[in-house]
Amino acid sequence: MVLSSIGLRNFRLHKNTNLDFSKDLNYIVGGNGQGKTTVLEAIYYLCTTKNLNQNQDSEAVSFDEKHFEVKGHFRDLTENITRIHFDLETSKKTYFVDEKQTYRASSIIGKFPVVTLVQSDHAVTLGAPAERRKLVDSIISQYSETYLIYLLDYNKTLRHRSALLSKIRELNDKSLMPQLEAWTETLVKMGLEIIKHRLKFVENFNEYVCHAYNKIMEKKENPSIEYNFMGETRESEIEGKFIQELNNSREDELRRAKNLIGPHRDDFHFYINHYELRKYGSQGQHKTFQIALRFAQFFYMKDRLGRTPLFLMDDVFGELDANRAKKISMFLREIGQAFITMTDLTKVESIHIGNTDLLIEIENGRIVNA
Amino acid sequence: MTIPEPLEILIEELSKLPGIGKKTAQRLALFLLRSDENYISRLSDSILSLKTKIRQCSICFNITTTEICDICSSPKRDRSIICVVEDISDIIAVERTNEYNGLYHVLGGVLSPLTGRDVDSIRIKELEERIKNGNFKEIILALNPDTEGETTSLYIAKLFKESNLKITRIARGLPVGGNLEFADEATIGRAVLNRVTIQ
Repeated sequence: MVLSSIGLRNFRLHKNTNLDFSKDLNYIVGGNGQGKTTVLEAIYYLCTTKNLNQNQDSEAVSFDEKHFEVKGHFRDLTENITRIHFDLETSKKTYFVDEKQTYRASSIIGKFPVVTLVQSDHAVTLGAPAERRKLVDSIISQYSETYLIYLLDYNKTLRHRSALLSKIRELNDKSLMPQLEAWTETLVKMGLEIIKHRLKFVENFNEYVCHAYNKIMEKKENPSIEYNFMGETRESEIEGKFIQELNNSREDELRRAKNLIGPHRDDFHFYINHYELRKYGSQGQHKTFQIALRFAQFFYMKDRLGRTPLFLMDDVFGELDANRAKKISMFLREIGQAFITMTDLTKVESIHIGNTDLLIEIENGRIVNA
Repeated sequence: MTIPEPLEILIEELSKLPGIGKKTAQRLALFLLRSDENYISRLSDSILSLKTKIRQCSICFNITTTEICDICSSPKRDRSIICVVEDISDIIAVERTNEYNGLYHVLGGVLSPLTGRDVDSIRIKELEERIKNGNFKEIILALNPDTEGETTSLYIAKLFKESNLKITRIARGLPVGGNLEFADEATIGRAVLNRVTIQ
């Protein structure tokens, strides 16, 4: 899939910007606050209808304006024009594919696949387990609607169950226990499906991470992701383990009125040469791992979906030494179309820019050179 | 222009009906205004009689005009089998199939702690009572396949675990007559995960 052009109206600094893209690498260069990332933000809106950094839609409207609009021209086997419009007064967001309005955001999941590598990715290797679950869930959901629905059902079950736990604690009413048992059984049933999907995903995904990691590293290292459910990885044993742990924690759960056991507390562990990254990793290894994860996601989604995602990279080169920047820019060649923002033009020297690539310079929401 | 008050009140009342918006309500009200008096009195009588003549069956909580509903009082019905549903509309749906000849029990809701619904706010006690006093061999749980419906099924199944009753849940999966290619991913996905052995 290729995004051949984009139009931005009243979108942050961009009052009226039209851009034609290269089908290869698009470098977007400019100083801080000039509207580089905004271009990525707009592309992300077109692919997902959502904001790249989970900001409010209203923040993307230019100062003193009442609405924003982004329009994009996608080319795959067919051509699609997508358009997103946000009205500040009514807070209404409307999304069109070929001028036909789309009412469910979920109906476009996986249709315009996109992979992002942004500053906040450091949280994936350095932050809380929730960050890693978010990454894994977002990848699996893009190719498995079944998983997405199990996830939504599981989360609803968690809310019901915690409401019931609170009620039991509040009323100190043991006659509600059989109801808790029923909700626990639903929790196990939904949770098991989520765990099984995650196990299978990690098993397949590791190979992709390993490949990507060694593409951007000098010497050979062996990265891996490990996932287990409370120490268990054998599918046949997980249900027993799940139920056993729930029984062990019943008193605790009732006292704290909280769901303490289940895949909503899962973590994914990252290793390099069998040393845990979180404990022993250097700054550079963290950074490399974060980048490798996104490249792996890109190739994994490409294989699973049978279509090539867009790749958005926000200001990553700034933090890298010349050597690794060069390796990554070479690796980007294998990707197809990518959009890369950079602050520093001097960095460009260490980056290989091909004939078909495009260098776009942006200043104060205007294209000065493309 | 101001609309005469009686008409405005009618529009307001009609727009409270499910699926009726302001404009449709206005169209309906103007239609009624032009209709002859006979029709209006038949219509208003029939609406009134909903409340005066229809009541709940004292056994299964289906709707009926008599103390006990047609299904519960019919000698042709199989009294060894009971189908548990959430709402009256589910009875209508199952009845239309002509595939079921047992009795029903309307729960009037499903377990949902988030909205404060527990065992005491749906008719589970009444179901236990019926099972105890009846001569049932099988309970069919025909609740919606969402988390609340599933959990309610699990709860009821546990309740009668010690009895000799056969407890079944209606199957789910692909629609009959539909092509596989037209079913949505989630339905096919679950149908594949919950596949059955044929040999």
